[in-house]
This record gives sequence, structure tokens and C-alpha cells, in this order.
Amino acid sequence: MRTITITPLKAFEISVEAEIISPDKFAPLSLSQIRSLSIWQGNRKRKLSDLFRAEGDDGPAKVEDVTITLQGDFSRAKRIAEGMTAGKVEAEGGVGMHAGNNMKGGLLSVQKDAEDWLGREMRGGKITVRGNAGNYLGAGYRGEKCGMRGGEIEVGGNAGAYLGEHLCGGSIRVHGDAGDFPGAANQGGTIFIGGSTYLPGAEMTKGTITVRGRARVLPSYQKMEIMSIEGEDFQKYVGDLVEKGTGELFVRVGSS
Amino acid sequence: MIIKGGIVYDPANGIFGEEMDLCVDEGRMAEDGKGEVIDARGLLVMPGGVDAHSHIAGTKVNTGRIMRPDDARLGIEPRSGVCRPCTGYTVPNCYAIGYRYARMGYTTAFEAATPIIEARHTHEELEEIPILDKGALTLFGTNWEVMECVRDKDIGKLAAYVAWGLRSARGYGVKIVNPGGGEAWGFGSNVKGPNDPVPNFDVTGAEIICGLAQANEMLRLPHSIHLHFNNLGKPGNYTTALETLELLKDIKPSRMRQVVHVAHMQFSAYGGTSWRDFESKAPVIADYFNSHNHATMDLGQLLFGSATTMTADAPLEYGNARLTHNKWSNHDIELEESSGVVPMVYFRKMLVNAVQWAIGLELALLTRDPWKVLMTTDHPNGSPFINYPEVITLLMSKPKRDAEMATLHEQLPKRTSLGGIERELDWTEIAIMTRAAPARILGLEDKGHFGPGADADISIYDLRPEEVDPSRDHALVKKALAAAKYTIKSGIVVSQKGQILAAPPGRTLR
Repeated sequence: MRTITITPLKAFEISVEAEIISPDKFAPLSLSQIRSLSIWQGNRKRKLSDLFRAEGDDGPAKVEDVTITLQGDFSRAKRIAEGMTAGKVEAEGGVGMHAGNNMKGGLLSVQKDAEDWLGREMRGGKITVRGNAGNYLGAGYRGEKCGMRGGEIEVGGNAGAYLGEHLCGGSIRVHGDAGDFPGAANQGGTIFIGGSTYLPGAEMTKGTITVRGRARVLPSYQKMEIMSIEGEDFQKYVGDLVEKGTGELFVRVGSS
Repeated sequence: MIIKGGIVYDPANGIFGEEMDLCVDEGRMAEDGKGEVIDARGLLVMPGGVDAHSHIAGTKVNTGRIMRPDDARLGIEPRSGVCRPCTGYTVPNCYAIGYRYARMGYTTAFEAATPIIEARHTHEELEEIPILDKGALTLFGTNWEVMECVRDKDIGKLAAYVAWGLRSARGYGVKIVNPGGGEAWGFGSNVKGPNDPVPNFDVTGAEIICGLAQANEMLRLPHSIHLHFNNLGKPGNYTTALETLELLKDIKPSRMRQVVHVAHMQFSAYGGTSWRDFESKAPVIADYFNSHNHATMDLGQLLFGSATTMTADAPLEYGNARLTHNKWSNHDIELEESSGVVPMVYFRKMLVNAVQWAIGLELALLTRDPWKVLMTTDHPNGSPFINYPEVITLLMSKPKRDAEMATLHEQLPKRTSLGGIERELDWTEIAIMTRAAPARILGLEDKGHFGPGADADISIYDLRPEEVDPSRDHALVKKALAAAKYTIKSGIVVSQKGQILAAPPGRTLR
């Protein structure tokens, strides 16, 4: 095992493009090489050591053996763990926008809140968030037809709007409430929302959305039978008929 | 500047791979030069590339950029040295267009379709494209004034209108897209061929094409009419192509050039009655070009991967949008044209796409005279222009074509004749198809050759034509073509081994 701890030297006023903070990038490098990696802050190119303190085990290691611990405030460090394939990134605080985007494997765990676009276009691996997640959790970026395609995201708190937009696979579990339009244009992913939400599954063609709290359902959904899931009764809907969709939406009976 | 010892291909001046020195003086080719000496011993030297048909500026290009933020992410290059930041793959930003063409050794590119009313936008963008010399062709095919002149059979008035239009729009030549179809599209329909009447105008596409061709010759314009056929992109449309070409064979050119240049021929060489029995009719089209001298074509080669289709043929784009269930932009340019933009992905495993891929190559290989065929991808409709090295190597290497065909749909050999074509183009033919012929077809006297007084646009590749066999070493050739060792524009080294050293503004030719 190789553990590397990264701590910001101060609170950033201008966001940092931190895509190099990833087990794949760190694994083959020594600590001093990691410190001299270049990193963009706004339109300035800097060295990692200008912005962060990097400490821990030296020497190269296999990607799956690398654990990166993030101490302090990373809410303005974007794209942490971008495209990571293995290993672990453990944030003791929150993480900035686009964390875990395009992730293919490994674990990203966040103790506090994650900003927008967490796990966007994710392919595999797992993301867990203790606090809340922002908008566009597991979504596809602007213009993209496919969001998250695989893997797993679990959020302990609430999620923002457009949760899992353009979802093509994988599963997202939010224990709290979700904002407007979760699972918009879902093409085959699975979403579970523990709390309430508004207009789930707009333009959904395939996939499943389950809402345990209240949900305002679109008029373009066809009401089906009542089904029992884990001992609770859920009203089943099929849609979105606007897109000739066969997606399934379950809303707990008695909560709406 | 003196370029020493290169193996020079300058087919316009009868130089086919001779070792010689080139001299540059004040941005032009000269008898002798002084100052900087560039060592090109044994290396491939050709005039700077000329792209006669590409969509690089104007409202529809910008619409493509706006509707494809996903594409902008694919080609991000941060600001560095003299370069401004770049984005995009199929619809790159203005800077990227200039740098990427220059890296490949291209120094001239023509925007192929601009309506008069949108011309300001086109020129705003052309001004921002660094390095290249540029021009824009102006659309006249569905213009109300044009159709009224044609209906009244007043070719003199039509010529006057065309002259006014070109001057107002700072256009270089006459472009015709799906003549009559843009007007019909205003009422939700299309014309089914050149002899179909245009709604509300007592004219046909055939009359518009012939009228504009006559006006073009009356004005003695440097370029001929530049034609996008009716029924483009539809199975069985090769008959439309032949029928339309027949209309023009008796018109006398006013200069030593063709009467009609056919844009992206690949999209109009389709057989079959539907996408199910879709097949190549490239051999028939190539036969026609082999036996007639009034027409030239560019390929519009299709390559697998991402593209963005954009054209003034709006009904075609409606079809594309319905076919792919993709994003669609539809635009009416009042009194002049209609247009559309749809993103597209061409798949290796899809038989139709594989046949389209083969048709472009067949056209280039079966047409005997390389002066009649230009290598283009109709950027970004068939593929982005940065894939030109791929097209060139396919044309130069039978083994590469065979290897590629082996990965495609098993039905492909039954639908095309590509597998049986042995021809491999040589450097002279490539120099013609990418340099000399586009310059001659456009009527650019100072481009595409090394005669004294010509623009000193020179590309030098890290390839030894006397040692490298493009048929076998196609990977090496592709790599060398993607990043010229030197690209020289008007006597200035603008790119070296893929790195942009200088980014002077180019001229707009009109």
C-alpha cells in the first residue's frame, strides 16, 4: 500500500484544474516528481507544490495499491480523480466540480459535500458521498448523448437537479431528496431516491427510477399496477411516452 | 530563402520528383534567392496544399459549434507560443482551422457555401483564421432573383445579378446547392430531380443550373459553377448526377477549365432503390468523367468516426435528423436558401457507411485523370479535414485498403468494386489532387505550383520519396503527412514538425 496525503496550502480564490490528483497519475511517480507536476489555476500554469502539500510514501507503486487522502477544503479543486481506473481517493472534506468524471474503476469517497457534475460520464468504479451532491450527478456534459455508463454512486444526503441526465447504465442511489428532473433522458440506468423529487424520468426511454418519498409524475407516464418492493407498495408507471419509452418509474404508494 | 536538394513534385510545371533547389524572394517563387537556407535533401517537396471545398466559416459552421459543445471538448489545445487556444474536432474554432491545416502542409482553403445575406459573418470568421489564404463561394441555387431571371430567360440580367452578388458578398465563385430544393423546402417539400418544377416559380433545377453556368461563362469568372446535385445522399441518385452533367456538356467554357465542378461526388454516386439494396455506382460515374472533359469533381470522402453534416440542402438534413434521431438545426435564409446541421457518426460495422467509404476511394482510383479529381472529405460532412493523411494513404496503398476492408461488413465486396482495384496513386498524382488541380479548377494562377512569381507556399515532408514505398510503409507516410517538416506560407516558415512557429494573417481571395 502507498498512501499519499494532499493538503491545500490555502483556500483558493480561483479554481484549480486538479485532474492530476488521481491514483493513475501518482502511481508511477516519486513524491518529488508528484510535487513538480504542472497544474492549471485559472489561466496560469503552476507546480503542484505551489498550491498543495504532498506527503506520504515515496516510490512507485501499482495503481491499485495507491490511496490518496485529501485533507482540507477541495471545493475549488475541479476534476479530482478524473478517469481513474483503480486505487482509492479519500476526501476528508468536500470535493469540487467534476470529481470522478469519466472514472473507470476504484473508489472515490467523500466525507462532506460534492459539487456539481460528480461522476459525470462515469464508466465504472464506485463513488460514495456522506454529505450532499450538487447538480448533474452522474450526468453527461453539455451536448453529450450519454452520461454515466457503468459503476455505482451513493449519496447519503441530497442531490441537486438533473440527477443522472442522459444516464446510459450504472446505478445511482440518493438517500435524501433529489432536485428537479432526475433521470431525464435516461437510456438504461438505475436510480433510487430515498426522499422526494419533482418530475422524474422526462424523456426516459429505458431504465428504472424508484422514488420512496413524494414525486410529481409527468402526464406522459402511463399508470400501471401497484407492486410490492421489499415489503412496501409502489405505484408503477411506464414512459416517457413522448419518446415511446419503456422506462419504469416506481413511486411509493401513500407518499404522493 | 533557398530550399536545397528537395525531391520536388510540381506537376503543373512538368516536374515529377526531380531533385532541385527552390528559391523564394519577397514571398514569391523566384529564379534565385538569398538569406535563410533550408536543407531538404532527399525530402518530399510539394506546393502548399489547396482545399477547394471545405466548410470552415459562416453561420452554419458556427451553428455546428453552438449545438456541439461535446465536439468542442475533443480538440482542446491551450494557448502556447504564437498559438491561441484551440477547441473542437469536427467543428474546430477559427484558430484551430488555420493551425491544423498549416501543420499538414496546407496553405489555402475555400469555404464552400455562403449565402449573400450571411456573408459578413463568413468574412468575420475568415479574417480570424490564421495563416491560410481563403475564399468563399457564394450560394445562388435557390435565390429568388436568380429564379426570376431564369424564368424570364434573361441571362444578361442574371449575369449582372451574379456579378453584384459576388461583389456584395465578397465571394469568389458561384455555388449551387440542390437547385430549387431550398425554395421547395420552405413549403415542406423538395424537388425530386433537376426537371421537377420549383413551387411558385415557373422554373426547374435544370434551367437554374444552365442559366447560372451561362452567366458564369459570360462573366468569365476564374472558377466554374460549383454544383451540389439534387437528390444528394439518396440511394439511386447516380442517375440524377449523370442527367445533370449531360445538361452542361454543350456549354462553352470561357477559360481553359471545366464548365462545372461537382462537389463531394461520393454523396451522389449511389445505386440501389433503398438503404437495403444500397450499392456503389462509382464505376459508372468514373466512366462518365473518363469520357467527358467538361466536369471535375471533389471526392467528399467519408471516414469512420465523428462528423458534423452541414449543408444548404435543408431537406437532406431533415432526412439525416430523422434517420439518426440526433440534434437538428434547420434554417431559412430568406429569399436565398435554406440550410441544416446534424451531427453524425459513421460506423465501420454499418454496411451503408462502409459502402459510402468505398465509393469515395473508387471514384478517385477509377477516374484516370487526376486533374479531374480533388481529394477532400467535404469537411466536416464526410470527416474532419485533419484526416486527409488517412485518405491519401488509402489511395496510395492497396494493402492498407485490403486491411481496412477486412474489418468492415462482409457484404461490402458485393456492393462495391473497390476490392478489385489494383491502382495505387503515386506522389505526382497526389500532388495533382491536393495542389495543382484544386488551384487550376479554382482558377488560382499563383497557387499550386512553383513557377516564378507563384506564391511561395511550400510544404516539405519528412519522407524520402526515393526510399519510402507508400504501398508498404503507409503508416510512416501517414505520420509524415500529418505534420509537415516545414510548411512555408508566402515565404515564411509557419510550421515546423507540427509546431506552429508563426501565425501571419492570410488573405481572403475574391
